[in-house]
Formats: sequence, structure tokens, C-alpha cells
Amino acid sequence: MQAVLSLKKYLKPYMVFAIIAPVMMLLEVAMDLVQPTIMQHIIDNGIAKGDTAYVFQMFGLMILCAVIGLIGGVGCSIYASKTAINFSADIRQDLYETITYFSNSNKDRFTLGKLITNITSDVEMLQRALTMLLKMFIRGPFTFIGAIVIVFLTARELFPILLVVVPILAFAIFFFTRLSGKLFLKVQEAVDGVNIRVQENLAGIRVIKAYNRKHHQIQQFTSVNENLMKRNIHADQIIGILMPLTAFVVNMGIIAALWMGAIKVENSTIEVGVILAFINYLMMIMGGLMGSSSVLMQIARAIPSAKRIVAVLEEQSEITNLENPVLTPIKGEVEFDQVSFAYNKNNEPVLKNITFKAKPGETIGIIGMTGSGKSSIINLIPRMFDVDKGVIRIDGLPIKEYDLSMLRGAIGFTPQKATLFSRTIEENVRYGNNEATMEEFIEALEASCAFEFVEKLDTKEQYRVTQGATNLSGGQKQRLAMARALIRKPAILILDDTTSAVDSISEKRIQKAIEENFRESTKFIVSSKISSLRHADKILVLDDGVIVGQGTHEELLEKNKAYQEIVSTQLVRGGTLHE
Amino acid sequence: MNKPPGRPAGPPPIGRHPGPRFNGPAEKAKDQKATLKRIWTYLNKQRIGLISSIFFVVVSTLLSLVGPLMIGMIIDNYILKFDLNGAIRMVLVLAGIYIISAVFTWLQTFMMIRVSQKTIRELRQDLFEKFQSLPISIFDKRQQGDLMSRMTNDIENLNAAVSQSVIQIVSTVLSVVGTGIAMSYLNWILAIVTLLVIPIIIGSTKQIIKRSSKNFSQRQRDLGSLNGFIEETISNSHITTLFGKEEQAVAQFKEANEKLRTSALKADITSGFLGPINNFINNLGIGLVIGVGALLAIGSLGVSVGVIASFVTYTRQFFRPINQLSNLFNTFQSAIAGAERVFEILDEQNEVADVPNAISKDRYDGDVEFRNVEFFYQPQKSVLHNISFRAKAGETIALVGPTGSGKTSIIQLLNRFYDAKRGGIMIDGNDIKAYQMENLRDHIGVVLQDTYLFSGTVRENIRYGKLNATNEEVERAAKIAYAHNFIKYLPQGYDTMLVSGGMNLSQGQRQLIAIARAILEGPDILILDEATSSVDTMTEVHIQKGLNNLMQGRTSFVIAHRLKTIENADQILVIKDGEILEQGNHDSLMMSNGLYASLQNQLQVQ
Repeated sequence: MQAVLSLKKYLKPYMVFAIIAPVMMLLEVAMDLVQPTIMQHIIDNGIAKGDTAYVFQMFGLMILCAVIGLIGGVGCSIYASKTAINFSADIRQDLYETITYFSNSNKDRFTLGKLITNITSDVEMLQRALTMLLKMFIRGPFTFIGAIVIVFLTARELFPILLVVVPILAFAIFFFTRLSGKLFLKVQEAVDGVNIRVQENLAGIRVIKAYNRKHHQIQQFTSVNENLMKRNIHADQIIGILMPLTAFVVNMGIIAALWMGAIKVENSTIEVGVILAFINYLMMIMGGLMGSSSVLMQIARAIPSAKRIVAVLEEQSEITNLENPVLTPIKGEVEFDQVSFAYNKNNEPVLKNITFKAKPGETIGIIGMTGSGKSSIINLIPRMFDVDKGVIRIDGLPIKEYDLSMLRGAIGFTPQKATLFSRTIEENVRYGNNEATMEEFIEALEASCAFEFVEKLDTKEQYRVTQGATNLSGGQKQRLAMARALIRKPAILILDDTTSAVDSISEKRIQKAIEENFRESTKFIVSSKISSLRHADKILVLDDGVIVGQGTHEELLEKNKAYQEIVSTQLVRGGTLHE
Repeated sequence: MNKPPGRPAGPPPIGRHPGPRFNGPAEKAKDQKATLKRIWTYLNKQRIGLISSIFFVVVSTLLSLVGPLMIGMIIDNYILKFDLNGAIRMVLVLAGIYIISAVFTWLQTFMMIRVSQKTIRELRQDLFEKFQSLPISIFDKRQQGDLMSRMTNDIENLNAAVSQSVIQIVSTVLSVVGTGIAMSYLNWILAIVTLLVIPIIIGSTKQIIKRSSKNFSQRQRDLGSLNGFIEETISNSHITTLFGKEEQAVAQFKEANEKLRTSALKADITSGFLGPINNFINNLGIGLVIGVGALLAIGSLGVSVGVIASFVTYTRQFFRPINQLSNLFNTFQSAIAGAERVFEILDEQNEVADVPNAISKDRYDGDVEFRNVEFFYQPQKSVLHNISFRAKAGETIALVGPTGSGKTSIIQLLNRFYDAKRGGIMIDGNDIKAYQMENLRDHIGVVLQDTYLFSGTVRENIRYGKLNATNEEVERAAKIAYAHNFIKYLPQGYDTMLVSGGMNLSQGQRQLIAIARAILEGPDILILDEATSSVDTMTEVHIQKGLNNLMQGRTSFVIAHRLKTIENADQILVIKDGEILEQGNHDSLMMSNGLYASLQNQLQVQ
């Protein structure tokens, strides 16, 4: 509940709307509640006494009530929508901003998939619940209570009926609502079962066909499909009892009203109009109860969403600027001093006591098996994560003292997975540097060996990359991702295994271009292939988070055992001829 | 994967307000009649259930018409005449009617749910089996998400329509007609007054829906583009961070978010009118009934207090379904459109059928010959042109060439994912089409670059190659494939559960399992696609050893990337732009000094 309350501040700008909406709704409900009483008066006073003028008067009153009710209802609807939509749009904006400034460890803690759900469906859920709350929360309970009060005041003789009917109704609705939650959870499981099967069969269709496993697959599907049907039938049939049951209970209330009413009318304790009004109030009570229960359910489902959103909003980004950050331009000397780092602070560190130094303009190669910590080292340089122990210095100053955007602005980074955005090729490359001239843009393309293939595309650099870059090959994506880093002309250039899908000949050309065009930049090149690092000024050999050797190719070849082993396995593998 | 929109857990709200839920414009079907007919052929199989369900609907609707009539009668003939015994007798009769009505209402739901769920199950089964029989080209042409949504969303829409709309439409139509008759019987003047309200309800609802449809589609579009933006920028947010583009991203988001705010406000406000306006019309209707009724009563025009009571109850009881009718037609329409999409798939052509007396063999020698093969996916764009070569039993053929040169197409022709457009492919001297497709595929093993593993244990995944293999056979295959080494270190060894796609294993590990699977199958002809990236060198050496074991003594076609594989192949086909440019072994190709030799030389020099 605490969590939900902390979202209150988003409601503040719209507080007036949020108050007007339920007040308008009160108006509508009040008008609805008055109606049966007017009806009762028409029957008992107008018809019984033959007073036409009175009937007209009362009829006019009824129409007036209906109009006032309409104004109330429309007003409530408008202000409820205004409150809820503005409220959710503001939260969405803040959420997006918070997430955008998250550090990697913040994101890892929530996972990206969940963050996307938070900002899409959780916000949507909240918006719907708030609309419901403003529109219905007054309506349901107020109709329910109002009707009971009016019956108590005007038809007290029949009030005992409510004492029986209302608890039964309330219990039935409560019971079935809870039951349906459980039953539909089971249905959802069965739905998931079917969906997983279908999804797998679509994704694995080539394997299925190649292995001739059609009948096997159909057999498996038949059983999950059957299961889904059974659970659906079971759930629906049980839930299907609620409607006729409540209708039945209300109808029994009517029966009781007629029965008791007949006796009271004979005794002249009440008049006929009262019975009629009572029947109408009974139906309102049922409606009110049903309405309240569905609002409550909606709100109950929105509470977890609200909690998740608050958790994200309250999360502090772990990597931020110091108070007076250093703004001196970076030259590119990088030094790791006894650096240790773990993603999960309870586990063994992935980097242990890493110490090395890179002078401006040097090329540092990093090699090692999958999981040895190569990517972790280079991710520490732009402060994607902060070190746990030790210190990283750039130009002699600890990196934490630099202004974050300055630091990252001096780095050109190409991550292992070449991710592009769904924009044109030019926009994707210029993402690295919006101010680049046309020549610089083409230079970057040429350096990453991308120019050739881009020129062959029908719309050249205006070619639109699809989401997930499905319309480019792996090698093409890597070249563009490299171009995006190169166009920055950074002081520090970091390439994380960026040529794995590029053919060996192009790779050589890229290496040469970088060597020539980026003489002043400090270059970090991560690879599992010796051929990519051979000419580096210094190669770091990593094994299980520890540097087990550093030096040039020749030095390592001579005396480093781990390096020799890697070299020997690479000889077996050979290069690759094409992508 | 997207879940289908979950059904709201719990009963539909019964309160009159806020009226029907508005779900935006319905999609229109192209040929409603034909689609309806086809849905009927499915429903027809549940005829008995359907007929009995409709019978129950009719009875319970009629009974619900009797209720108000009797209430009025009890008031007029007994209560107002102070006939207490008579009143109680009639009240008991009414109670009986209500009991039967409740039972029948439940029975009608009970039967209808069976009908709809069984129908839906059958449709789902048919669609799934169809998926299995479709040619690969369909899966290449259509997106997986598209096929998936036909199985989930479209069928779910149909389910909603069949299970609810049928009953509601029958009962609403019946109620309106029945109420009309009952009212006319009670008092025709008052009946006309009441029924006059119905066209107003339908008219105003239609107007509102028409107006908000436009706003809703705008909102849907804005929401779609905002969600797309969120999806992309958050999944790639490390790029935003690395390049320091946070401010730019937030500003772009703000633009899209404000757009959505405006269109969502418009859409919500217009559709929000529906509830209060319907409520107003209902109140107006009741007011009219009472007012006009009272005047008629005073004027002694055949209206009694009881008649007014009946009319009021009728009005309360029947306005709501009419309010919902237009929404119901929306549901109905999107269901038909959904069904149409399902049928569209069911009507796709199946994979090629076997020729009469197709050949089935226990063992293939693996003698493969391509004779002037032409192939294309679209008539204007030739993919393979004049491909001819011969692979003798037991040989290894390496296919070499840049991306998009046609290597994969050659392989797809071999296991008949596609058929050649011209020319012929001979296996052991017979045309490939002369064999039973299932028999042929049983003897061709395939290891794809990014292979697919199913959710289930590691053991089950290997056993997929031979369903009746014993545990020992599975483990032997794993050992030959060099997969045993990592499997034994998995938390539950061979019984470790894999998630869909095998995503909890590395790509190299997945590939080793796929190799083990192929070894277990023991094919006579082998097709391999080598992986080049994402695998560290040690694993790659293992994969290579596993593959070498697998290729032993079998005719193998390898889309080769590694120089070693290429050098050791019996034949190398250098393919470019769909044609065989050079053909021979490593030595002869180096001698001939063509493209292959120049590629090799370039590599050596650097």
C-alpha cells in the first residue's frame, strides 16, 4: 500500500479533475436512486388520487433527474479520463527517463524485459484501474449503500428481506470471484502450454521436417490441446453458475417482497407503490454489488503493477557524477591498478587483480576463452560498471572523477553484439557523431569496410535498417556498428570481438585502416582469434579473470604457456574464407 | 512471444454502468458469407449440443418474459383486491418459474461452453496439423509472429464470439420480440412509447462508436509506435549509454508520449460518453413508461398499477442487452475476420505429395547428382542457374561462396524443402521425386548453423534423432559428438531441462547436441552448415572433431567456412550469384588460378 501511495505526487497536478470526477458521479448515482421513489409517489399519490397535474409534475421531475444524471455521468467520464490519461502519461515519461539513466547493474537487477513490461503494460494497467476507480468506485458502493438506506427509510416493512438477500449475494459474489481467480490461473497455465508448443513448432519447423517428426509433434500437441479444452470447460461451467445464481437470489427477493407485500397491503400497512419501488432498489443493489466487486478486482490486479513501477522509480542509478567532475580533455592513457570486479557481489569476482597500462596510441589486444573476463575489462572503461576494488586511471586521474558524458564522449565503443536501430544507415552511423561531415561519414564507412556493400544497396546510405537489423547479414551489422564508433574519432577506441562474422580478408583491411587512421587513439581489441591481435603493442592473455600473460605476440609465443595453447588450437581451425 | 489477451478473470460485470466496454473498431472480414458457412461446418459437428443449447436459451428467455407479466398480474388481480391466499399461490408459481429459469440459464451456458470449446479445440488441432504439412516456403514467407497470432488471438476471438455472442444474440432478439408482444398484449399505447426508445439507443450507440472509431485507430497507431520505440531503445539501451544519447532518447520519447496523450484523451472521452448516455436513455425510458402509464391509468385507458409495474420491470430487464448489441456485432465481426485468417492458412497448398508407387529404401548409397538445376523463389529472380555436379557415395562436398550466393538453396533442394524448377536431382540413379518424401528425409541428416532445440531434457533432444533409442545409444551418440563432456557437467546431466530453443546452453553446446542428434539418426546422406562465430576456439575444435566423426563414410554436403574443411573436401564447389564458378579439389583449384586460388592467396599474403 505504501508503494501505491508514493504515486500520489503524479496525481497532484490533476487533483481538481480527480475530485470533480467522483463528485459528478455522485450526482448521477443520486439521480438514479431518486427515480424509484418518484415512481412510488406517482403510483401511490398520482394514480390513486387521479391527480393528473401531480403526475405531470412528477414526470417533469423524473426527466429533470435524468438530465442531471446525464450531466453528472458525462462530466465524471470526461474528468476521469483526463485524470487517468494525464497521470499515466506523466508516469510513463518519468519511468522512461529513469530507465534511460540506469547503469548496467541497475538494468541487470530488473532485467530489460521486465523494464519494458513496466513501462508498457504496467502503466496501462494503472491507467485502467484509475479510470475504473474514479468512474465506478463511487458508483458501486454508493448505489449499494444508498439503495439500502432508502429502503430502510421508505419501505422499512420490507427491509428484513434485504437482511437475508444481501449477505447471500455478497457471499456468492465474493466466493465466485475468488474461485474464478484460481480456475483461470489454471486455464492460463494450459494456454501457456499450448502457446509454447506452437511457438516451438514454428521456430523448429526445419528440424521437424528434416527429421520427419510430424506425427510425433501432432501427438504431443493433441494432449496439450485436449488439456486446454478441459480446463476451459471446467472453469467456464463453474463460473457460469454465478449469473443465474445471483439472478435467482434477487428473484427470490422479489418473491418475498410480493408475499410480504401482499400481507402488508391487506393490513394496509403499506401501499402498492412501495413494493414496486422495493423491487427496483433490489435490482440496483445487485448492480451495485457486482460493480463494486469488479472494481475491487481491477484494483487488486493493479496493485502489483503499481509496486513494480514504484520500485523502478525509486531505484537510484548507481553510476553518477561526482560533485565537481573533471572536464579536461582526455588524451588516452589508460591504467588498471589492482582492479577486481564481480557482477554479483555474492559470487566469485570475474576479474581479479587486473593491472596493466596503455599509453596513448597503443593497441592493446585481449584474448582468452569465453567467460574469461575479456568483455568485463573493457566495459569498466566507459563506466558501464564500477570496479569493486582497485582503481582505473585515465591520464593519471581516477575515472570516477571525470564528467560521465565527457568520459563516454571520448570513447568509441563497439559492443560484441552489433545492435543497430530501425533508422537509415546514415542515421545509424551518425548516431556516433551528429556533427560529422559527409567526408568523415564516408571515411568511417570505408575504414570499417562497409562502404562497398552500402553502395550496392538500392537506396545506399538511406537504406532503412529494420528492427533487429534483420535485413542485414551478421558481417554487415558488425561493419556498421564499427563505423558508428569510428566516426567519433575517439581518444579511446574499443572493439569487442567485432569482426567475428566478417570474412578474414575484410578483417585484415579493417585492421589496416584502423592502424593508419587512428594512430593517436588508444585501441583495445578483444578477440578470440590470434589473427586479429597479432600486431598489437601489448596482448593481455586472460584466464578465469586473471591476466596470465602480457606482452607482444612474439614474447608471448616464446614464453607464455596459455598463449601457446591458444595458438596451437587456432592452427587446427584455420581462418575463414567467407562470411 | 506475446500472450493472447487474457480473458478477464471472473464474471462479466452486471451493473448497468458504464455500459458496454468499447474495444475500438472491429476489423472487417472480406467474404463474410463464405467464412460463416465454414464456421458452421465446424459447429455442425457439435449439432446436438448446439441445438439443445439453443433450446435452453429459448426456454429461459421465454420464462424471463413471464416474470414481469406475473408481477403485474399479482399486483392487479390479487394484492390490490386483497386476495392474500390467491396472491401467495401465484407467488409460489412465480417462484417455481424463477427456479426453472435459473436452471435453464445455467444449462444453456453449460452446453454452449462445451460446443464452443470443442469447436475451438478442433480448429486449433486442424491448424496445428496444417502447420506440420505446409511447405517450408510458407514459413520463409510469413513471419513466425503472424502464424502464432492466428493460432492464439484469432482463434481466441472466435471462441469469444461462439461462446457468448450466439447465446446473447438469440436471447436478445427473442427478448425484444417477446417483450414487444407481451407489452402490446398488456397495453399497445404504452408498448409503442417504450419500444420507441430502442431505436434511440441503437442510433446513439452507433453514432458514438462511429465517432470514437476514428479516435481509437489513431490511439492504437500512437500506442503502437510508442511501444515500438520503448521496445527498441530499452533493449538496446547500452548503446544509448555508451554514446551518451540519454537526453536525445528522452526527448524523442516525450514527443511520442505527448502524441499518445492527446489521442488517448480524445478516444477515451468520446467512448466514455457511451455509458452515461445509455444510462440516461434508460432512465428516460422508464420515466416515459411511468409518466405516460400514470396518465393512461388516470384516464382509465386500460392501464393499471400492475401493468405499469410489468412495464418498468421489462424496461429494466431488456434495455441492457440492447445497449450491448452493437458491441456484440463488433465482437462478431472481429471473430469472423479472425476465422478468415485461420482459414486462409488452412487453404494453403500442402507440401508436394508422393508420386504413385513412390520408392522407399532401407539404405541409400548416397550417390547424388544435380543435372542442370534451375531454381528461384520469385520468377524474375533466379537463385540457382544451371547447377550440375556429381557426388559419389561417401564423398565430402564443400560449398564455398559469399552470403546469398545460393549455397543454402542447393541444400534445401536436397532434402526437398523446395523442388527444382528445371533440371533434375538424382539420388542413387532415381529422380529425387520418385522417392517417398518421408523415407528420403529419414535417411538425410541435417545439422544447421543455428539449430533448434525443444524444451525438454537434453536426453529427449538427442533422442529426437531416433525416438526409440535406448539411454545407452543416446550417450554413445553424445560421446561420438564430443557432447558428453559438457553434458556430464550440467546440473542434472542428461536430464537437465532445456528451455525453448535451448537458450540456456551456449550456441556451441547447442550445436554439439544437434550433432549428437544427427549421429543417433544414422543418416546415409549428411548436410552440414558450419558455424563461424560466437564459439570460442576450444569448443570449435570439439565441434570439428564431432563433425569429422559424423561425416565418416557418409556422403556429406558442407557449407564450409573453415579452410581446413575446405582443403580436405573431395570436391569443392565455388558458387557465386547462383552459378558454379569453379569445381574441383583444393589442389586442382589452386592450380587453375581462379577465384578460389586468389581468395586463398589473399589470405596467405596477409
